[in-house]
Amino acid sequence: METKINWESKFDKALARAKEEKKPVILDFFNPG
Amino acid sequence: MDAVTYPDPKVIKFLHQNFIPLRVPFDAKPLAADFNVKWTPTLITLSADGKEHHRTVGFLGPEELVASLLLGLGKLFFDNEKFNEALKHLDKLLSDYAKSDSAPEAIYFRGVCRYKNTHDPKPLKEGYEKLQAEYPLSEWTKRAYPYRLL
Repeated sequence: METKINWESKFDKALARAKEEKKPVILDFFNPG
Repeated sequence: MDAVTYPDPKVIKFLHQNFIPLRVPFDAKPLAADFNVKWTPTLITLSADGKEHHRTVGFLGPEELVASLLLGLGKLFFDNEKFNEALKHLDKLLSDYAKSDSAPEAIYFRGVCRYKNTHDPKPLKEGYEKLQAEYPLSEWTKRAYPYRLL
C-alpha cells in the first residue's frame, strides 16, 4: 500500500504505462513555487 | 493540494487503483501550451491515447477530488460510448459523494448514458426531475431543462 502518490514526471512514460496497465492518466499541472 | 488533498489515504488509494498519476510544472513545454493551461492546479483526465475527457481548475479537498475523478472516469467511458462502464462510475459517485459539486453533472450524464443504452427518453426526464428537486440552481439543471417536456 502506497503512503504517498508516486507521480510520473514524463508524459510519454505515463501514456505508455496507461496503455500497459489499461488505466487513464490524471495529469496535474502544478506550481512548484 | 500538497498540504491537504494528496496526503489523504483515500486519495492515494483511489489514484493508484484507477489512474497513472502524472505531474508536471505549469510551464512545462510543450504540455502547458498543448493543453492550454493558464492556472494551477489544473487537473486533466486523459485516456491512454492522450485525449482529454475532463478538467478542473483550482483547489479540491479530498472528497471533492475523488468525486471529480469518478466524474472524469464516467466522462471518459461516455466519450468512448462505453455507457455501462460510464454508469458504474457515475453511480458510484452518486452513491458515495452525493453532496459533492460533481453530483449534478453526474446526474445529467447518467440520464444521457441510460438514454444512449435504451433510446428511451424517460431517463433524461428523470434526470431533469432529480436535478430540479435536489440542485435547482445548478447549471446542469438548466442544461437539462428541455427534457422536462419528454
